[in-house]
This record gives sequence, C-alpha cells and structure tokens, in this order.
Amino acid sequence: MGRLLLIWRLVRGDITRRRVQSLMLVVMIAATTATLTLSLALHGVTDSPFAHTRAATNGPDVSGLFEPDYHGTAGTLQQFKALRRAPGVIGSSGLFPITELELTYGGHKVRVHAEGRNSNRAAVDQPLLTAGQWTTPDGVVVERSFADALGVHVGDTIHLAGRALDVAGIAVTSAMATSDPLVWLDSSTLLALAGRSEPLWYALNLKLSDPAAAGTFAAAHNTPNAAWLFQSWQEIRADDSTAIADERQLLATGSVLLAIIAVAGIAVMVGGRMAEQTRRVGLLKAIGATPSLVALVLMAENLLLAAMGTIAGLAVGRVVAPALTNPGTSMLGNPGSPSLNANTVGLAAALAAVVAVAATGAPALRGARTSTIRALTDPARPPQRHDGIIDLSARLPVPLLLGLRLIARRPRRAELAIASVAIAVATFIATLMLRHTTVLGVKAAGNILAAAKQNNLDHVGNILSVILVVIAAINLLFTTWATVLDAQRPTALARSLGATPNQITGGLASAQLLPGLIAAIIGIPAGIVLYLAAGENPSQANPPILAMLAVIPATLFAIGILTAIPARIGANRPAAEVLRSE
Amino acid sequence: MGEPRELSDREPLHGYQLRVVQEVLLALLVQSGAHAYELRARLALALGPLADTLNEGQVYVTLGRLETSGLISSQRVERVDRRDRRVYELTEAGRERVLAWFEDVSWPKPAPAEFHLKLVAAAATGLADPVEIVDRQRHQLLSGLREAQRAALAEPAGAVAGLLLEGVVLRLQADLRWLEACARFWSTAEGRP
Amino acid sequence: MRAPVAMRTPMVSARGLSKEYGSGAARVRAVRGLDLDVEAGETVAIIGPSGCGKSTLLYLLGGLERPTAGSLRLVDQPLEQLPEAGLARLRRHALGFVFQAFHLVDELTATENVELPLLLAGASPHRAHKRAADLLRSVGLADRAGHLPSALSGGQRQRVAIARALVNEPAVVLADEPTGNLDSEATTEVLRLFEQLRADGQTLVLVTHDERIAATADRLLTMRDGVLVDETRLSGGSGRSLGAITGLEE
Repeated sequence: MGRLLLIWRLVRGDITRRRVQSLMLVVMIAATTATLTLSLALHGVTDSPFAHTRAATNGPDVSGLFEPDYHGTAGTLQQFKALRRAPGVIGSSGLFPITELELTYGGHKVRVHAEGRNSNRAAVDQPLLTAGQWTTPDGVVVERSFADALGVHVGDTIHLAGRALDVAGIAVTSAMATSDPLVWLDSSTLLALAGRSEPLWYALNLKLSDPAAAGTFAAAHNTPNAAWLFQSWQEIRADDSTAIADERQLLATGSVLLAIIAVAGIAVMVGGRMAEQTRRVGLLKAIGATPSLVALVLMAENLLLAAMGTIAGLAVGRVVAPALTNPGTSMLGNPGSPSLNANTVGLAAALAAVVAVAATGAPALRGARTSTIRALTDPARPPQRHDGIIDLSARLPVPLLLGLRLIARRPRRAELAIASVAIAVATFIATLMLRHTTVLGVKAAGNILAAAKQNNLDHVGNILSVILVVIAAINLLFTTWATVLDAQRPTALARSLGATPNQITGGLASAQLLPGLIAAIIGIPAGIVLYLAAGENPSQANPPILAMLAVIPATLFAIGILTAIPARIGANRPAAEVLRSE
Repeated sequence: MGEPRELSDREPLHGYQLRVVQEVLLALLVQSGAHAYELRARLALALGPLADTLNEGQVYVTLGRLETSGLISSQRVERVDRRDRRVYELTEAGRERVLAWFEDVSWPKPAPAEFHLKLVAAAATGLADPVEIVDRQRHQLLSGLREAQRAALAEPAGAVAGLLLEGVVLRLQADLRWLEACARFWSTAEGRP
Repeated sequence: MRAPVAMRTPMVSARGLSKEYGSGAARVRAVRGLDLDVEAGETVAIIGPSGCGKSTLLYLLGGLERPTAGSLRLVDQPLEQLPEAGLARLRRHALGFVFQAFHLVDELTATENVELPLLLAGASPHRAHKRAADLLRSVGLADRAGHLPSALSGGQRQRVAIARALVNEPAVVLADEPTGNLDSEATTEVLRLFEQLRADGQTLVLVTHDERIAATADRLLTMRDGVLVDETRLSGGSGRSLGAITGLEE
C-alpha cells in the first residue's frame, strides 16, 4: 500500500511540476483519439445498406417494369403478368401502377416516380418504414434519400399533381436504385391523380428459387422489342453502388486520412516525449528507486495522462462525429449507426496503452541499464556537434548563427519537427485536393437528389477539412512550442552574452523556419500521395496547383508567428531564472 | 611529547607556532654533517617565503641546545676567513630521536579553546561584545589569509614551499568558517542570561 | 584597454536597489534598499551566508534581473530605463559574467565558446577566433583550445568561462560563486587568474562564500538578509607579516 502511495505521490508531483508538458501530451492524445474515433465512425458508415434493405424488405430477385405505350414493342400486360408463374419463380408481388407526377413542396417542383400500393403487405418488396406509417388514401410515403433531399418529414403536407397529401411515412426499398425521386401512394389515389395526362406503367417483383441466377432470368426475359424490362437484383445493387460511389469515396478517404494523421501525430509526439523521460529516470534512481519502481512510476504517469487524453478524445469524437456521420448516413441511406461503440472504445483504449508503453519503454529500459549519474548529468543524448555548421554559422548574421546552432545541437528534434510539419502540410494539401475533386460532373443539374447530394458532399467535405486543418494546426503549435521550451537554456545564455531579444526571436524563428521550409517542400508531394493512398481516383483529382504552392509561404508564416509569440514573451523575461544554479 | 616544549615554552600572543625546529635540524643532519649556515639554507628551501622570518640566531641557539642534550656533536674546523667554524654531526641518540619523530602522529591541537573561552568570558563579564571580538579576529585572519595566499600563488607550481603556504591558507579558511559560526551564535545569544 | 571613464565616476553605482519575489505570505525580499559603488580597477568581494541575496545582487548588477526599486548605473549609464535590447548591447562591452555552473556550450570547443560573445556582437569570425586564441593562451589553456568542455576539468572549464567573460574587454567582470563547483586544486587555478586580473587593473565584483576568493579583494562587503552589514578594507599582501601567522619568530 505504501508503495502505491509513493508511486502516486511521485506521479502527481511530476505532473504538477511540469504542467505544460503534461497538458501538451494530454491534448495531443485527445486530438489523436478524437481523430481515430471519427475515422472509425466514418468507416462504419461507408457500408452500403443495400443488403440490409433487401433482407428487411424481402426485396425482389428480379424487378420488372412494363411500359405499354412504347411504340414498336410487343407483349401485352397479360403476358407480363403471366411471368409470375414463369419457371424458377417462387414468389411475386405486383402489378403495381407507376406513373410520373409533379410534386411541389417548399418551393421545389420535382417530377417524381409514384408507385401505387395498398394497405396490404406485399409478399415481395414491402418497403421498410424508417418513420411514420404506410400509405393511406390521403397519405403518401416518401423514399428516404428523396425525403432528405427535399427536407420533408412525417406530417408535412406536399402537393402531388396539385392535390395536397400528408406525408404518412418514410421508407427504403431495394427494388430500385436511389437515383430517382420515388414516392408510394394508395393505388386508387395514384390512378386518380395520373388521369389521362400521365404515363402509366406497371411494376412486377419476382422472387426466384435461385437468386444467384437472377441475371440469367432477366436476360432470358428481356427479349428485344419487349414492352417490358427486367433487372436483376445484382444490377440494381450495382446501380445503387454507382449512385453512392462518390459519397462512399469521400467518407472512406476522410476516414483513412484521419487515421493516418492520427498515427503519424502520435509517433512524433512519443518520440519527443521519450527524450524528456530519460532525465526523470536518473532523478528517480538518484533518490533510491529501483529500476522496477522507476518503470512503474513512468508507466503510471504515462498511462494516467494517456487515459485522460483518451477519455477527452472519445468525448470530443462522440460530440463531433454526428456532424460527419449524419450527413454521411443520409447520403447513403443508412439507418444511422452509433458513433461510439465497443469497437471504437476498445481501439482507443488500445491506442492509449500503446502510447503509454512506447513513451515509457525506451527510457525505462535505458535507465535500468545506465548508471544513475550518467542519466542525471548527461541529457538524453548530449547535444550534437557539427564542425561544418558551427563554422558556417559563425559567418552568418546573429539570428541565423543562433538558429543554425540550435538546429545542429539537437538534430533528432529537428527531424521530429520536420516530420511534424510535413504531416501538417500534407494534411493541408490532401484537404485542398479533397475540396477540389470533381465529383458530380455528369449528373444532370436540376435533379433535386443530385443537388442534395452535392450539398451533402460539400457539407461533409467542409467538416472533414475543418477537422484536418485543426489537427494540423495543433501539430504545428506543439512542435514550435516544444522547440522553444527546449531552447530555453541556450537562449538565456546567449542573452547573458549580449544577444538582444530581437536576435533571440530571430534565432528561434530561423531554427524553426529552416526545417519548416524543408518540411513544406516535402509535404506537398506527401500530401498528394496521402490523398491518393486514401483511395481517391487519380483521374478525378484536380489539384489546385497555385493554392498548393501557396501552402509553402502560408506554412512558413504560420510557423513564424507561432514561434515568434512565445519567443518574444520569453525574451523579455529575466534570463537569471534559467541561469541560476540555486 | 614533552621535550620540544623545553625549547620554547612561551605561548605566542598570536598565530601558530613552529615547535619542531630542532627535529628538523636533526633530520637535516642524517645524511651528513653540516655547518650552521648550510642547515639554515636547507631549512629556508623547505620553508620558502616563511624562511625569511627565521631568525639567524634562532638556528644557532637551537643547535646549542641540541648539543647540550647530546643529540648532536660538533667539531671545530679551522678556516681562514669564515666566521662559522663548527661542523655538526648527528649522534646515535639523535638518530633515534629522528626516527621516533617520523613515527609520531601527534598533531597541533585543533580545539581553539583559548578563543572560545575568550568569547565566553566576554559575554559573562559584559566587558566586551563577543560579536565585536569575532569581527576583529576575522579581519585579522582574513588579512593573514590574504598574505599567505599571495605568497602561495607567487611560488612556482610544484615548489615544496607552496605546499606549506597552502596548508596555512586552508587552516585559516577553516578558522574563518568557525568564526562565522561564532558570529552567528553570539549575535543571537545576546540577551541570554 | 577598458572603456574610458572619468577617474572619479564609479564603474558600478547602485542606490536603493531592491528586489522582491512572490507576494503575500510567500514574499521574499532578496535585496533591500542596497547602496553600492565600485571604482575602476577595484576588486570587490561580497560574502554572506546562503540565501542572503548576494547572487541576486550580482544578477541585478549585470542586468540579468530587473530591480523592483532603486537605480543602477553601469559605466555611468542608467540601467533601469533601458529595454532588454539596450541591456543586451550594454552587456556586450561593459560586462563579463562568470557563473557558478560555468554555463559553457557543451557542443562547442573552448575556442568556440570564448569567441561566442564577439560573434554575437558582430565581430568578424577571423577577429573573434584570434582574440579567443589569445585569451585562452593568457589563461594557460592554449593546449586545450580545441577541446570540448566534457574533456576539461572543472577548473579548466571555469578558466574557459573567465576567458569568455574577458573576450569583449569588459569594463566590469561579475563572478557568481566562481569556485562554488570546484575542488581545492581547481580553486587555486581560478584564484591565480583572479589575482592576475586584479594586477592588470580589471574591475571585479565577486560573490562568494569561499574565504580564499574573498581574500583576493581590496574591499570586502558582508551581506546579510538583503543588506550590506559590513565593509572591510583588507590590509596585508606585501608579505612582510607572514611570520606573524606562522609563528616562526620567537
């Protein structure tokens, strides 16, 4: 018990003493966890609900449409109907009258397909209600994606061919691809509304003994010149997939991007953290802790911070996810998936544990092996010396002199900074490319579903972009901050030797800007690769070259500002605090 | 060891005292006999700057006493134009005395009892302020430290005399630290009954 | 050699200098209304127990801390109105600082460490290098000029630090416990240097609790609880009274 108390005291003491570093770790892990949560949430959404809908609605294996007024075609309605008893057919529903009607609602005027049903349950293809109830003489049921596009809900009133009808319910079906607006009405109402002016077709839904052979069946009965057309369920699914391909692509890309950035950010942060820990190991050993106790203390502290970060990240993810997944699910017609499930929590917890172990492992191991005095007096790695850089920097103006030497003394940290900034820049680039993908080139303008889809794509795209930019900004902020913190002692010394605050700020800025420039240049192709690796179609990519090139100066500007502010603040505080030995 | 005291049993009013001039002279005669002026020269080498304070006469007096005690013997040597005519040699007894000296581990006593009692007495009688006494003593010791340190630094590195001066410096430093403690003690002890 | 200053004007002049930290119950008054003058060419030692504020005083004199109250003049320039940049520039030619912890740059050689203040002041690399080499020679480290601090002993490191403090020909050298981290032998090395500097006429202000360092000073100031409680001019140094302390005379 005493040991636990001791560990707790040591952990708490260290966290309160190094508040800024601890906070940084927690925020970084939270950002990463939130990112991962969103990534998983999006991933869960990208599954097409087609199979689910087909099972729930007892969807047809073959779906047929009879168009009686089509010139030059052969076949009567009776013949069409007789196909219910064709070989291989084990169930059917229909004939359902279908017509085109004009629907008016909320300023929209749309031509919709209307299918006539009655209150009986159809044996095949009974659309699944996601809200409200089935058709009534005065009611209409609207297909889900169309309802979302229109913005209509149960209880609203729409006008169909001039007649006011209540929206009785909202449903999904697998008998048709979701590319055309679709509603269901009471058959008699439909026939009354259609009158003589609108075309009238008939739908027939068939269930086969061998669903896999639906394609053969449809082909067999799709004789040329037939007044009817059969589609197998596989063809419908393909249509559906094509229809939602872009949405799925966007969500999948977003999901992968977020995951990659999350992992990369964590790796960089852990690398930075490990350096701090080695001195801690020395201190603990010096006060008498055994290597195992040291490892326990480090692990406890890192686990605690990682846990706090994870919980915060999960909370943020839970709050933000609906903003991403709701438009996503409505785009795909998916009946909503929970943003937080056992999978997500489990993965996030695993991530936290991995971070804790990684950040603990190396220092603890090194600490157990090196002598206590070495760990205390030597820094994690003693500063590096590069003859060439020291000579070169002596010839340069003072800010560059300081900056180059700051970089040279901790090349590992400079590498980490480059990696961090490159990730941020790659994120910016990938986001830019995301925003500029040509997605809906071929769809007809004026189709309300297409317009709604574009809106949704924009919406999701925007949110993704914002999230990615925020993550990139956090990354950038912490990288610059960490460098300024690390450079406290050398800059205090330089001030005592006569360097002015401007020279110090310039030095710190150039120590960041030089790696930043390299990182920005690396980041552009990295961003393109990242975007493509996330699954985007290269032919669809329309990279805005100018904007992408502008990212370089923008990043440098951001780095400059982010460095200059803490540097200026620090440069005016007395140098004595850092230099005193007491 | 009581014998050195018979040579010089007068306690000085200040400073440390070098009581073992006679032992050193005996040791200097181990290898061979020597004239008094040679002995003085060898002594001066070991003492460095401090040797200047060595009284010429002191060496002669000490040699005389040693001879009286039978630790050395002397012989007159006739020289035409030299003042000093004696050559001194170590006797067996003297040789034994030297060996015994090398074995001896006694050390000048570290307890500064006299000064300590001086402060106690000052406080008890109320005739003087202990803190002022300490300050005056500190000043004096610091000056001495300065002297010794300058002399020590002036010696070439590796000179044996420098070692002696370093010893003086370090002891004075130790004494000064104790005086600092005395100052602290007596400044808060004021007002105690 | 040094910045030309009128004979009567002190190099360092402080009036009513105060420094406080913290607030409320945790308020610490490290330096309280202190007056101090240091003449050109003087060596002043400030001694006192730990926590008496002597290091704070030195950092105030060097412009590395801002006083809470009082005025301070360095080579006849008032410091309290100077912004940080101005202080830094003043430090370049007026001050050399020697720290207890040496504060050498670990990855630079001795020469590169010594030439750093010159480079920061804008001197050419060639001139800086030459001057650094000269100084290292004068402190007896010519054969160690290319070594890293990790390859130097404590005394050698502090000597490099002293050389660095001298490279800009400062008007005043401030030293904070220069032998605090050194053993006896290293202390002797540094002592030798300070004596040499004193003989060359360098103005020195030393903060120390080592009596040997204090004994090199012309003037000894004792500090206690943030104020100067004693000032002594040390006599001696001519070698004439050595016998008095060794008791060789009878």
